[in-house]
Amino acid sequence: MMEASTLVGQPSGRAGTLMNSSEEWIARARRGDDEAFRLIFDRYARPIISFIYDMVGQRELAEELTQETFVRAYKNLNALRDESKLSTWLFGIAKNVARESLRYRFREDGKVEIEDDRVMEMSDGRLLPDSELLNKELNGVIRDALGALDEDKRMVFTLKIFQQRSYEEIAEITGFSIPKLKTDLHRARAEMRRRIRPYLGVGYEV
Amino acid sequence: MKCEEYISIIEEYMDGELDRQTALGVSDHLAVCRECADFCDSVRSEQQLYAHYRRDVEVTPAIWASVQERIRAEKVAISPDQVSRLRERKPVSLKWFAGLLSTPRFSPALAVALVLIAVALTAVVMSYLQSNQPATQESIVATGNSNAGTSATGNGNANQSDDPKDRKDKIADIDTTPQPEKAESTQPAPRPQRVVKREPTPEQLVREAEQKYLAAIAILARDVKRRRSRIDPFVAAQFDAALADIDHTIAETRRAARENPDDPIALQYMLTAYAKKVDVLREMARN
Repeated sequence: MMEASTLVGQPSGRAGTLMNSSEEWIARARRGDDEAFRLIFDRYARPIISFIYDMVGQRELAEELTQETFVRAYKNLNALRDESKLSTWLFGIAKNVARESLRYRFREDGKVEIEDDRVMEMSDGRLLPDSELLNKELNGVIRDALGALDEDKRMVFTLKIFQQRSYEEIAEITGFSIPKLKTDLHRARAEMRRRIRPYLGVGYEV
Repeated sequence: MKCEEYISIIEEYMDGELDRQTALGVSDHLAVCRECADFCDSVRSEQQLYAHYRRDVEVTPAIWASVQERIRAEKVAISPDQVSRLRERKPVSLKWFAGLLSTPRFSPALAVALVLIAVALTAVVMSYLQSNQPATQESIVATGNSNAGTSATGNGNANQSDDPKDRKDKIADIDTTPQPEKAESTQPAPRPQRVVKREPTPEQLVREAEQKYLAAIAILARDVKRRRSRIDPFVAAQFDAALADIDHTIAETRRAARENPDDPIALQYMLTAYAKKVDVLREMARN
């Protein structure tokens, strides 16, 4: 939600008043207009890279797979039937790209070890100095808990909790049935809850 | 409804996924049940915690630069003329072609002898199928024999795999051409029957080329497996992603080649996909 709301409006600022809808960007990109495709990239790159990062757990790999996602999207723009579902369609491609990468990773259970690098400040981050340490620690806990989920649960959890997708959209992106994704989401929440419980109501101010 | 039943749907309630009537029922229950209201608060607290999650990743200008570079390379690689020609010929061909181009580009050099043979066989098959002329039978015979000189085992395989049961009409027609007479008229050599017997069909040549690629892939895959621990994990992941793409393309092109055994485009894409895999494995083996 944060990412989407932050990004809305950025493309129109870049392009002026003539291009202000995804449908129009798609139409122009299909005709080979790179600038129109760049507007699509600008709007969706942040949620897509976040989703891929949550899935694969490595920054550089996430960057690489984000590139791959948008290149595939560009090449297959004509396959997008419903322009109003551009976002869901892009997440579907990102899911495929991430899964293909994970399939050849070393661990076969779908769990990943997410890099424990320094947490970067986002441009809209407003962290209080006295809570920064706890935030970093909590980030580490969430990161580890996410990495410990199996692939399906991690995907559903990320799409719901971090990307604010509806069940219907998650079903479209993942190809899972609604009952399966509900079950996976419930179990993922329970596993995550167990790990972050110590941080609920012990001085962490939200 | 009992509290356990409300608890089971409170997450869906928080997600806004319940129908209006059920949501109103949950809302009413939360107003009077402390236990369920506490659980609802805990779910809300979790969501607030997750909202503070920050990742060590950002969209850098370099990402778009790479995307743009690859998109432009695609435009150069597939000119509008090529696209329209491919579309006219067979719509699905474009998809295979795009799949091939989506893989990273590696050095085009081919050092594995098996691959050279496979490429030679591919060229023979393509030139034959594209000519689409039964009169070129002699040239096929001649080139097939020159390949035999390069690879004795390859020629042997072609002879052993001479199974006509699944040939298509076109190939069957070629096989029923009165070859001894032709051979005699163009080549007054004393042993025309030997030439006819050893003449590989295009299908056999394709199969042979495929076998060479598979043999080369098996050799390289063993090398890569031995050296895997020495490859940087990030680099290995990139290679793995490329291999996944290529394997997918190989599967698609093989299926298409089976369905269209006399379509030179389908066969060419299949063999090109194998060549791509060889390239990637060779790059991995070098790392």
